[in-house]
Amino acid sequence: MTEMLKKLVVLITLAFSLIVPVFANGTQDTGKGKKLDPNAPVTIELWYGAAATEAGPPPADWGALKIIKDKFNINLKLTALPSAENDQDVKINAAGAGNALPDLFMVRRPVWQKLVQQGLIANVDDMYPQMPNRCKTHYTEDSITFTTINGKSYGLASPGAIAKNEGVLIRKDWLDKLGLKEPVTTEDYMNVMKAFTEKDPDGDGKADTYGYGAFIETNNYEEGLGRRMDPFFGAYGVAGTWNMTKANAGLNVLNPAYFDALSYVKQMVDNNVIDPNWLSYKKDDFRAAWKQGKFGIMREQNAAYAAAANYKPFDENFPNGSWIIANPPKGPDGKSAVGAFTTGYRIYAVSAKAAQAGKKAKIAQLLEWMSSDEGYYLLGWGVKDVNYKLDAKGVPTTKGLADPSKAFTAPEMIPLTQLKNMVYYNGAVEIAARYPAYTTAKSGKIMDPGDVLLMMQTKPWTNVIGSDTLPNPNADLKRFYEQGVLEFLTGKRQLTKDNWNAWIAEFKKVGGEQWNADGIKYAKDNNLLK
Amino acid sequence: MTKRTVAKGKLWDEIKHHRSIYAILIIPAVYYFIFKYLPIWNGQIAFKDFTALSGVMGSPWCGLKNFVDFFHSFYFWELLRNTLFYSFGKLLVSVPLSIILSVVLYESQRKYLRSIVQTLTYLPHFLSWVIMYGILLVLLAPGDGVVNDIIKACGGQPVPFLTDTKAFPWIVILSDAWKEMGWSAIIFIAALMAIDPSLYEAAMVEGATAFQRTMNITLPSIRPVIYMVVLLKLGTILDAGFNQMFMLYSVPVYSVGDIIDTWVYRQGLLEFQFSLATAVGIFKGIIGLLLITISNQLVKRMSDSSIL
Amino acid sequence: MMPASDKFFHHCLDVFLVVTLIVVVIPLWSTITQSFRPNTFIGSNLEGMFLPPWKWSTAAYHALLGNNGFLLAFTNSLKILIFGVATSLLLTIPMAYCLSIKTLPGRKLLTIFVLLPYLFNVGLIPSYLVISGIGLTNHLAAIFLPSAISTYNCLIMRGFFEGIPEELKESARIDGAPEWYVLVRIILPLSKPIILTIGLYYGVSFWNDFLHAMLYLNENSLQPLPILLRNILIASGMNEFVEVNAFGDAPISAIKAASVFMSAIPMIIAYPFIQKYFTKGTLLGSVKG
Repeated sequence: MTEMLKKLVVLITLAFSLIVPVFANGTQDTGKGKKLDPNAPVTIELWYGAAATEAGPPPADWGALKIIKDKFNINLKLTALPSAENDQDVKINAAGAGNALPDLFMVRRPVWQKLVQQGLIANVDDMYPQMPNRCKTHYTEDSITFTTINGKSYGLASPGAIAKNEGVLIRKDWLDKLGLKEPVTTEDYMNVMKAFTEKDPDGDGKADTYGYGAFIETNNYEEGLGRRMDPFFGAYGVAGTWNMTKANAGLNVLNPAYFDALSYVKQMVDNNVIDPNWLSYKKDDFRAAWKQGKFGIMREQNAAYAAAANYKPFDENFPNGSWIIANPPKGPDGKSAVGAFTTGYRIYAVSAKAAQAGKKAKIAQLLEWMSSDEGYYLLGWGVKDVNYKLDAKGVPTTKGLADPSKAFTAPEMIPLTQLKNMVYYNGAVEIAARYPAYTTAKSGKIMDPGDVLLMMQTKPWTNVIGSDTLPNPNADLKRFYEQGVLEFLTGKRQLTKDNWNAWIAEFKKVGGEQWNADGIKYAKDNNLLK
Repeated sequence: MTKRTVAKGKLWDEIKHHRSIYAILIIPAVYYFIFKYLPIWNGQIAFKDFTALSGVMGSPWCGLKNFVDFFHSFYFWELLRNTLFYSFGKLLVSVPLSIILSVVLYESQRKYLRSIVQTLTYLPHFLSWVIMYGILLVLLAPGDGVVNDIIKACGGQPVPFLTDTKAFPWIVILSDAWKEMGWSAIIFIAALMAIDPSLYEAAMVEGATAFQRTMNITLPSIRPVIYMVVLLKLGTILDAGFNQMFMLYSVPVYSVGDIIDTWVYRQGLLEFQFSLATAVGIFKGIIGLLLITISNQLVKRMSDSSIL
Repeated sequence: MMPASDKFFHHCLDVFLVVTLIVVVIPLWSTITQSFRPNTFIGSNLEGMFLPPWKWSTAAYHALLGNNGFLLAFTNSLKILIFGVATSLLLTIPMAYCLSIKTLPGRKLLTIFVLLPYLFNVGLIPSYLVISGIGLTNHLAAIFLPSAISTYNCLIMRGFFEGIPEELKESARIDGAPEWYVLVRIILPLSKPIILTIGLYYGVSFWNDFLHAMLYLNENSLQPLPILLRNILIASGMNEFVEVNAFGDAPISAIKAASVFMSAIPMIIAYPFIQKYFTKGTLLGSVKG
């Protein structure tokens, strides 16, 4: 008996000695609500959204970490949030359920709202006075309103995507080859799209080109078919989810003009002028497709189109190809819009746990430093004269660097600026630095994404600022909406006035009526209508 | 001594006789308790209105409200229908294919062909559904997919396999079979390896053909494993493959592609409704339990193997 | 020599094998060619499959191997794999063996004990609360410990142990050996195929696990391969920083295809070694002898 026991004990100890080292990996977050010793370093856990998730996190010896430790006595623990938005939401929600949210984390607004309801997010009103510099560039009155619920602010909203940074792009070389003028009305656009599909504009003898290319990309203020199709909805005055005018406030889908817009898109599908893969594309597939010359008209973002790394494959494939930034189509009533734009703030929230542990002051110090000159340039571009140089106008550039392989645009250096979205505020210097003009390798053209951006911003847009704070539909209603619209397009439901009205009636019953009413009420209460 | 105390004494003897078995059992049992049963204890949030700050114990009871909400939700019957369709569909397609593949590999005398096929068929299992979506897109895209190019060359109309509600369900079942067929066959191959070769020698002496040998010796010998695999799959009948569906489905095919787990993901996990998500999990478990119990009874009657 | 029906039978087998081969190879081949496609390739996917090898570009593989995080992620995954398979087998084998002993009192109860949680998969959050409550957050063990005993694998293994003839066990017991001795000295050497199979099953699921890694591992230095790959394969939500391109010369579709092959390499290397043990009649030899 003892012999057997001895051997058993040896076996078990052996097994566990193998396992224990694995338990010793990684560190654990302390700070379970204890009051902090003023001299001990404060650990701040930051879940950030990486600028380029595929490029890997900042290295362990990243300069910023040392500066933060020395200056503020803060141990900064970095965690990159997953790339896909759904994954981010699940990770944050799970941590919330276990009351284990990190001290500071990026979070999308619909998720953030639920967390505030659960009492897991700290009130940050007392942090703004501690960050005077940062408030000048980041936390404007607008941004504070974005995160205000019941009169209190529960999140730090920094500027996100630059507003109106997309446009309708048309292949100029295809227009020229077919002798067509730039289209103006929706009818013109349909004719051009037909020509692009049927008349072989790339001259390769194959029927492999289409008029329009898109993919389904929705978010809470661009529901239905999403932003890629919005130029056509804008022609009927129904771009975006919500109509934010005082005269006509409410869901666009309940507007009779929505049927007309949808009929137009259905015509595009019936005439075969839209890339047939559009329903199956994800974002990368769509972007790869236009670089391979699959379609001639699209709505694309300025940097995704014109930035050096992104334009290069297109330039190599089609050195004689070029795109113009066109005016969006004008509908029968003369309306037009590239799409709907809001302020696009990105929320960083502080967990209630962190507030209880007394970490808010430290977090404010950290964020304020990020907005100082030292933090701004270090997180945004890297080390001066190593990763970037300042040109005559004070704009960071890669020209004249001693070691070009260390330029901030080089793939190996990208991890150093993964946190840049925490310091950028879309100022003039940033835009000049992010979108420098350059000459293309193969065709020798001069491309300027900064100019492209300015041009895109001059086109007509529908202002829906505030619509991203309106109440969200529940998952079933959202599905009913999106599914219905697409079924009319794919032909599963016949797009007739009667069918449409019947579907709208059902939509209202399933919760659409309530959602509409809630949205209008919220907009009125918060002075969001224009 | 009465009969009862005799029986009791016998039981105690049996336990003492097997005491070393119980000793081996301790650690796995403790592990099982912590990692499998404690979560079931936490599963009580299905009957509560779970809030993070109150935790599992502090959240208020709400009875069957979450279950009722699920049953009365707009898409409930459609979700159930889709889930059962895919589970049974995969069962009826993948399992026979795996069995056939394993038997063919076992019986075939072409050494090189056999080892090539065996090596290649298990490879797709390692591909995640994220990349499978890419593969399927290359093959099935309506505009320039390989299959549609062939169809167009033969004069037909391209089929939007991934966004057409009639074609999509078959793509789901067939792509799952393609991915898992070789891998699932491994368990059957291992079972086939354990068959006594002398049985075949005896049959050959009696003049049985290869086909007869397969039907009468090979297949019956792995029957217990087949039953085991099928029964276990029935137990999780309402898990129709979340990872696959999540990557493959899109709004145009929601009506045939949305299954219980994808719905729970959107409605439960993304919206912080964890009580609802857990309630659905328990519902699935009850159905699975019923199915396994019924099937086990059936299997017991047909043969003498049983999962219990 | 061979009766006619046997010849026909074997022809059918051959046809099945060839058809299977074609059906499996075509999609795999399309992925391989995609991983080697240069940025300048224009053409349909069908044409892409016939791209001659001298036009192939290894840019995607270069980009991946040069990626900062790749080596670290690979190492993390390897650690998870080794410790995970070891732990799983150490826990599953005793459990399966005990379940297989027909004379064990309370066997039915034990089987129910094992089977019940398999059915009542209560979902993500109840498990999450237990695992984070124990304090496994930010430890690599969080990936493999919660699923170290898979009921499915355990019951399959039980089935095999049940199939081992009683005479072997009895002869050892008669000699007065305790049960664990029977297990280690007699049963295990005979069960190499099933142990390797189940070990492989566990290994693959740990190697590919993405969900547990995403939920429980926070620190960047602990991220295993599936997380890195998923970040590459699913386009980043940060729409505004598209001007940075970590992959330069290779098309993103090639990167995706290449990353998949790189992540599957250890499994592809390991399997042929394990296959060696699956030879006909290994088990039976020991019974006869």
